[in-house]
Amino acid sequence: MEIYEVFRRAGHKDPFEHVGAVTAPDPELALLMAKECFFRRAEGEHLWVVRRRDIHSLKDESLLRLPEGKEYRFPHAYRDVITLRKRARERSATPVEAS
Amino acid sequence: MSAALAPVVLALADDELVLGHRHSEWTGFGPHIEEDIAFSSIAQDEIGHATAYYRLVAAHTGDDPDRLALGRAPSEYRHAIVCERPNGDWAYTLTRHWLYDHADSLRLASLAESKHADLAALAAKMRREERYHLLHADAWLERIARGPVEARRRIIDALTIAFDEALGLFEPLPEEGDALAEGILPEPSETLRARFMDEMSARLERLELPRSVQGRAAETAEFIASSSGDLIAGDEAGDGVDRPGAALGGRRGRHGPDFDSLWEVMTATYRADPGASW
Repeated sequence: MEIYEVFRRAGHKDPFEHVGAVTAPDPELALLMAKECFFRRAEGEHLWVVRRRDIHSLKDESLLRLPEGKEYRFPHAYRDVITLRKRARERSATPVEAS
Repeated sequence: MSAALAPVVLALADDELVLGHRHSEWTGFGPHIEEDIAFSSIAQDEIGHATAYYRLVAAHTGDDPDRLALGRAPSEYRHAIVCERPNGDWAYTLTRHWLYDHADSLRLASLAESKHADLAALAAKMRREERYHLLHADAWLERIARGPVEARRRIIDALTIAFDEALGLFEPLPEEGDALAEGILPEPSETLRARFMDEMSARLERLELPRSVQGRAAETAEFIASSSGDLIAGDEAGDGVDRPGAALGGRRGRHGPDFDSLWEVMTATYRADPGASW
């Protein structure tokens, strides 16, 4: 017996979504089981099962954490960009006093 | 209105109800959770089909579908005895499910040609819904037939008993002559039984299962031919021995003690308050 991850798509314009998993000896039975476990109330039009061991994942998921100093990857980092640019222009227009 | 319609459709309804009830006894005890859900769903389908048949009868006789399903005495039920047999182990349950759904599939294909328009339409609709049952039963049988030695042995043992019993599904009703004359039944039970034997022989061969499991079934066929009208229900001899023809009599309302206990449970709520609305 193997674990099969079950994906369901409500209609052909929707993305496939992961809905759960079933245990089955092979893909054919996995589909039959998934049909009964996840399509009991006409929830979708398309069904996929994928053997869990065919799904690859990172060994070290800490790689997915954001390294320091990458705030600029978020939109909020650009929230005040107009104000900041304006200020920068003003600064550059002001002659620098000789010391 | 045809007098043969009600008995014909009641026998179909009783098969589905009683087998659906047996199937439902697995709920919570299936071999694994996914199969538990799948098999329970099949049980619900069978009971749903029984409901549709009872409604068809009720529409023609003015009876109440609930009373037809749950308010009759055990001897008034016309299901084949194979449907009332206890579940035994998973091997027996599975082989009975396999045999029943293939028999039902042949029966529905035939009924879809009935001259009774409502029955024909209902049969056509059920045929579509039975597709999953066949996929499910075939998928299991195939895996177990080619599976480990013990599983294969148990499936062969179960088939040896269940095949014989399943032929009771093709036992003719006393009203069959009228039903055929009126075109309610497009074909005699004997034709369907022969078709079933041929089809299952081919399936057994493909599954590399011994066709000897049909051996006793063949004797039963002779039994029907040689002593029609005097069919023996299995438990009448009372010695608990399986013999050819032991699963006949159901279509005449003869049932065994297996059905008495099933009936007690199945009808208990209804009998507690027959007039109640649910």
